[in-house]
Amino acid sequence: MKIGLFYKLLIAFLAIGILAVLISGLIIQGQMKHELTGWVEKDLADRVQIISTMPEEEINKNAATLAEKVHARLTLIDASGWVTFDSDFQAKKMDNHLNRPEIQEARLKGKGTAIRYSRTLKTDMLYLALPVYDKGTVKRYIRLAHPLSEVTDTINQLQSTVFEVILLVMMLSMFAAIIFSIRILSPLWDMEEFTEKIKKGDVSGTLMVKSQDEIGRLARNINDMVSELQNRIKAADEESQTLQSAFASMIEGVIVLDSDGHVEVLNKGMHEMLGSRYGDIVGKTVMEAFRNVELHDALDRYHRTGHTVIQEFILGIENPIVLEVTISPIKTVSSGVEKTIMVFHDVTHLKRLEQIRADFIANVTHEIKTPLTAIIGFAQTLLQGDLGNRTEAIKFLQTIHTNAQRLNRLVDDLLILSNIELGETKLQLETIDLNNAIENALVVVQNRMDDKKIMITKELPLNLPNLMADKDKLQQILVNVLDNAVKFTSEGGLIFIKASQEETEFIVVSITDTGIGIPKNEIPRLGERFYRVDKTRSRDVGGTGLGLSIVKHLIIAHRGKMNIQSSPGRGTTVSLYFPLSRSDNSRTQ
Amino acid sequence: MDEIKHTSREYERELQEVKESLIYLGGMTEKSIALGLKALLERDSNLARQVIQNDDQIDQLDVENEEKCIRLLALRQPAARDLRFITTAIKINGHLERIGDMAVNIAEKVIVLNDEPQLKPYIDLPRMAEITKTMIRESLDALVNEDEPLANKVRSNDEIIDHLNEQIFRELLTFMIEDPRTIHRALLIMQISKSLERIADHAKGIADMVVYMITGKSVRHVGPSDEPEEQG
Repeated sequence: MKIGLFYKLLIAFLAIGILAVLISGLIIQGQMKHELTGWVEKDLADRVQIISTMPEEEINKNAATLAEKVHARLTLIDASGWVTFDSDFQAKKMDNHLNRPEIQEARLKGKGTAIRYSRTLKTDMLYLALPVYDKGTVKRYIRLAHPLSEVTDTINQLQSTVFEVILLVMMLSMFAAIIFSIRILSPLWDMEEFTEKIKKGDVSGTLMVKSQDEIGRLARNINDMVSELQNRIKAADEESQTLQSAFASMIEGVIVLDSDGHVEVLNKGMHEMLGSRYGDIVGKTVMEAFRNVELHDALDRYHRTGHTVIQEFILGIENPIVLEVTISPIKTVSSGVEKTIMVFHDVTHLKRLEQIRADFIANVTHEIKTPLTAIIGFAQTLLQGDLGNRTEAIKFLQTIHTNAQRLNRLVDDLLILSNIELGETKLQLETIDLNNAIENALVVVQNRMDDKKIMITKELPLNLPNLMADKDKLQQILVNVLDNAVKFTSEGGLIFIKASQEETEFIVVSITDTGIGIPKNEIPRLGERFYRVDKTRSRDVGGTGLGLSIVKHLIIAHRGKMNIQSSPGRGTTVSLYFPLSRSDNSRTQ
Repeated sequence: MDEIKHTSREYERELQEVKESLIYLGGMTEKSIALGLKALLERDSNLARQVIQNDDQIDQLDVENEEKCIRLLALRQPAARDLRFITTAIKINGHLERIGDMAVNIAEKVIVLNDEPQLKPYIDLPRMAEITKTMIRESLDALVNEDEPLANKVRSNDEIIDHLNEQIFRELLTFMIEDPRTIHRALLIMQISKSLERIADHAKGIADMVVYMITGKSVRHVGPSDEPEEQG
């Protein structure tokens, strides 16, 4: 590119220079030739004139000498054209000259000239002939001939001069081209390099501007354009960055499908929701990516109706999550391509809460209904006249009483729970000797343990630090856990109570039984209200289904935690963690 | 030119549709198996009944998919890779349908088993279930992603399943010898174990077809174990 423009300039300069020199050379050459020939001709004419004035005999006699004197070839031709004398040739050998152009011209006009190439002298010759008249008629012709070699030599000299000038011009052109190149082209080259860089996407830097002419203005315009471009790019970058970070930091998962239904892009939220199971889903269709029937059906419905579709579905088989997807179109005005956006909400947790609430209502109703049915049934029997049979009546009344008490216990438990949940339970914290508290709790369940012949072993270190806790609530926690242990341990089983200090933070009371145990996947749900692992069995042993739930909430109120480990068929360990140091007593106030 | 382009795009769409419906069927059978095994391990008869219900839809899809493939073969006369894909699709379709049937078999046994007390805590069966599910999942993943190494991995897993099946058989045999009252339940569990083994065989069959689809080389009857044989 750079070379190109330089050569173009050079060729232009050369062409102009050489043409100018050549044309002027040719013109001068033509003129010179004409001038010089004119001089030679005039000179010859003078000499012929002089000779013609001489008497005839004189000329004939001294012809040779004359020719020598006038430095020319002298030819004498008679009226009929025959050569009578020639200073350079033998006249007799020469042919008739009447039809030579100079003779013809001389005969008609009184003077004739001609330029001819002479084979003998190998040069152009100028011939000049004059007629000699005798009484009005041509008597003979006198012709002088002179070689034009001087003229030719001069012309040749001129030509070689012209050639030298052309060489000079070429050198000058080269020089001029270089100068121009440096002056005009180098800033252009700079601009070219600069714009090339911009074209490749690098919009940094500015052009150095030296001159004030058009090139300078062009450079300044480029600079302005680049800085404008830089600003726009910066603005666009900022905008897209804002959008990108918003897109990335959304908790909801977002997938954009291209017009063919392939995944085009997905955000960080979606990656987190999916984990590693689904691999790289970009470029796949929804079916290929998730292999989920419900999601596919929802997408299908969206394609058929063209309206936004909201669908809840379960994703995954190993660790299923419940997702709610909203499928809607993205219409881009500029390109007219319709893409699809799918926004996923993880509603697994909500679903679980919903389930818990539904279970709770169903359970409460059921729990209340069972004793109520018994109470109503027996009361009805009594009213229908069994009052007479006293022993029977007492048995019925006792059943009514037991069921009423059970109902009462249930309502009490529910009240405790709702109070804890509403935050209305105030803990009356006091210093408590843990061993003492455990002994007290054991007293409550002692009878039932004796009935089932359950052995109890204890490992209670005497040097345990005292605990800050609410005495009644602690009692309730321990009784509930022990009660569960007794309930679910078969006759002749074993309960092991152990208290220890774990690090400096907690005192841990763990109660291990040799009961039926709990399947692993049920453990997380144990703290839920009315949640029962084995629904029929638990009710048989007289639980309300709220025991562990109350324990869990009371422990949390004490800022402790509960941990359950179990293996089905072997037994269960419930570990209660009570915080050791309580610097702030906020809950008591 | 436009006409040709249009037709070929239409053809592409039809091929994609076959693939999609195949994966759809895959998704359904995968779910069926997972539900059936969950029903078994968690002793949940409701899930088992759900599996039996789903099977009608699987059967229907099986028929539809096959029709789609045959129509494509007849109308478009695909060649080379596309032809391989469609013939593969027909075979995979069959495998998937059979897997669905196996899930129903398991579900039926589960319902009967759940009416009786648990024979023993399952140890090998959950492992077997886990590996089988993984094999189906991976064989379908291999199909979707045209992933030959993954397909080969599935093919090699088949042996583990055969081994576990034998182990379960031996264990249940001792139970039955010790206490004849367990025979009914033990037999049911054996049948479930056999069904799982058959499912694994079908998963391997799918993986074989995937390898064929990708490479054009038939790998059936070659490798660590035999092709699934049909049983009555």
